[in-house]
Amino acid sequence: MFARRTAARVITQPSLLAAPSNARNMATLREIELRLKSVRNIEKITKSMKMIASTKLAKAQRAMQSGKLYGEANAEVFETAKEGVTGSRKLFLVLSSDKGLCGGIHSSVTKATRRAFNNAPDSPIPGVSVESDTSVMVIGDKSKAQLSRIYPDNLKLTFNQIGRDVPTFADAAGVADLVVKSGVEYDSVVIIYNKFVSAISYEAAAVEVKGEKALKESEGFKKYEMEDDFTKDLAEFSLANALYATLTESHACEISARRNAMDNASKNAGDMIGSLTMQYNRGRQAAITNELVDIITGASAL
Amino acid sequence: MSATWRGVFTFNKYSQITASAVRKSLKESQRLAAEKRGITALRYQVWENGKGGEQIILDPAQDSDPKANKAAV
Repeated sequence: MFARRTAARVITQPSLLAAPSNARNMATLREIELRLKSVRNIEKITKSMKMIASTKLAKAQRAMQSGKLYGEANAEVFETAKEGVTGSRKLFLVLSSDKGLCGGIHSSVTKATRRAFNNAPDSPIPGVSVESDTSVMVIGDKSKAQLSRIYPDNLKLTFNQIGRDVPTFADAAGVADLVVKSGVEYDSVVIIYNKFVSAISYEAAAVEVKGEKALKESEGFKKYEMEDDFTKDLAEFSLANALYATLTESHACEISARRNAMDNASKNAGDMIGSLTMQYNRGRQAAITNELVDIITGASAL
Repeated sequence: MSATWRGVFTFNKYSQITASAVRKSLKESQRLAAEKRGITALRYQVWENGKGGEQIILDPAQDSDPKANKAAV
């Protein structure tokens, strides 16, 4: 990205340096040298960012493993209470983060949300039709910017400052608390997040968490003989649990995507350094040969 | 059974309050590790008619947390 900008500058400049051919040759060499220097610096930066992401990745993966358990324990109740009317009012909760330079993590969830809204065949929640006035809540600045352009009127709440470090349960509980308190009516919450497939790949996925009413109406759930108050608590707490599980998973995805993006960037910078060095050396050699030719012709003319 | 807190805040808030009480009562060495798990720098924005409102910090007490100023990577 930076290198391209430098390239543009290099191209536009020669018109200013309308000096004799020899002098201009020297100027280009100087320019190539400068560019080499900047590309080397960028390589250093991307390399260190990759190193940081690599070390963070292990931590994030461990957090994801323990976070997943929350999600699994949570899913068990919903497995029992699966049947019954699922209301049509959804609430979309899109998980991404505040920081860029990590590949297509943010646009992956945004695109999944759009597919769900368009009821596309490859929607993350197949077979469920989504109303166009469905509320959307977003975690993370990057997806917020993307979704506020597409569905500005559907946005109800946005969160940020999550995912700087490994997400804590306090983060998840805080979000769940605000979602419940926001007054947005929903029958179920659809969490759109990035699923960790392997260290080099991820895909957008959705998790559905039922609201209090949907739970009460479910036949399977009645077997638990819960009191009304506790059902409400359970619905809220399971939202926090599901959020925690998906937040940690998204976080692991983001870190691994950043590692890969920085790996590629360092590789590209390495390639660029190689070709620039070649160009530089060739130019230098040509200048030396030119000078030699000048000297020899001068000497032979005497 | 219906406790009075239900009218005031949600279960998640309730669980966070009890959790922080438990964390505070731990021994010093475990407490430091446990309190890290209770940190949140969450901020939120309420949107109305396609416009974002002001950024609100969920827990202002934790904003002065040194971690919040860590270099972004």
